Amino acid sequence: MYYVAKVNADMCAEYKCNTCTLYCPEANTLMFDKVGNTSWVDEDRCKGCALCVYVCTDMLSRNCITMEMVHGKEE
Amino acid sequence: MGTNIYKINPEFRDIMPKEIIDLEENATWSATTDKRGIKELPETKELLEEHSLCAGCPEAAALRYVLAALPKPEDTVIVNSTGCTSLMFPHIALHTVHSLFGNQNAVATGIKRVLDWRFPEIEKDVVVLAGDGATVDIGLDYTLQSFFRQENITTICFDNEVYANTGGQESGATPKGQVFKMAPTGKKFEKVRMWELAVTSGCHYSMNMTASAPKAVAKAVREAIFVARYLGPTFLNIYTPCILEIGLNANEGLREMKEQDKERFAAFKFVSPEAEELLAKLKEEGRL
Repeated sequence: MYYVAKVNADMCAEYKCNTCTLYCPEANTLMFDKVGNTSWVDEDRCKGCALCVYVCTDMLSRNCITMEMVHGKEE
Repeated sequence: MGTNIYKINPEFRDIMPKEIIDLEENATWSATTDKRGIKELPETKELLEEHSLCAGCPEAAALRYVLAALPKPEDTVIVNSTGCTSLMFPHIALHTVHSLFGNQNAVATGIKRVLDWRFPEIEKDVVVLAGDGATVDIGLDYTLQSFFRQENITTICFDNEVYANTGGQESGATPKGQVFKMAPTGKKFEKVRMWELAVTSGCHYSMNMTASAPKAVAKAVREAIFVARYLGPTFLNIYTPCILEIGLNANEGLREMKEQDKERFAAFKFVSPEAEELLAKLKEEGRL
């Protein structure tokens, strides 16, 4: 079990800001869905650094991303 | 080279991993789009794949911007040197060459000259990507000599101000007084101002910046590559702190870079008059 980022899609869709996707250090992990106008996280690739939380919460004060615990399949 | 090397044999298509198929279908190349840039990052396949750097490493973020800003990735050769940067290169879908520690600019010189001779009709870019240890300490001679010779290569230094990969020894780029695990007495002399040395040594384009603004990094990389292609050597010094060595949490790298934007890495930009003319012309043509 470990932490990964989770985007609140409803809150995120209000802003369409796209900023967090640029600051994520992982490639193709925090992506943007043009149809739903929201960012989304590929949980298999997220290393849990919480940099996107810093961007969304501290820099932009939008609070759309939280860190949540995920569990492996065998657990 | 060219994008043909990324085409998958139809016979093997069904057993290929999704990432390889994505590279063919969703990655952007100069042949498929007029103007690559970081605005494509959130939707397209990136040229970097699941790298092995630490969680929250600013260097990895900077590499994403560099790769997204390359004007012609399929005709670009990246030369790198020993350090954390070299850990990422096996994960990049481009031609990369790993040189000996410090030799990167000498190796890049040879590659660029042979490419110009072998493919005179195609514009090929050679980009050097190395850390501050390779650029400022061990490879200072080779780096400066390549500037003196006016080689058409872009040198990008990911400056984390320490030999981070080997546990924290001080480098020439370490600021005065800084203490690290393997340098307990603190640095005795000032940080080497490599971006100013680059100007004195004949670079046409020299910048000192942090990786805190993705668009600024991408713009600088693009301009530096175009100036190197048509005029002569260019140099970018980008601050990408090692969060482990300076004792920060994984999510604090960006804040550290933003703080240094006003201090040690206050914006420095030098563009020679010829380069300014060239950039204005490229902008008019819509290539920048």
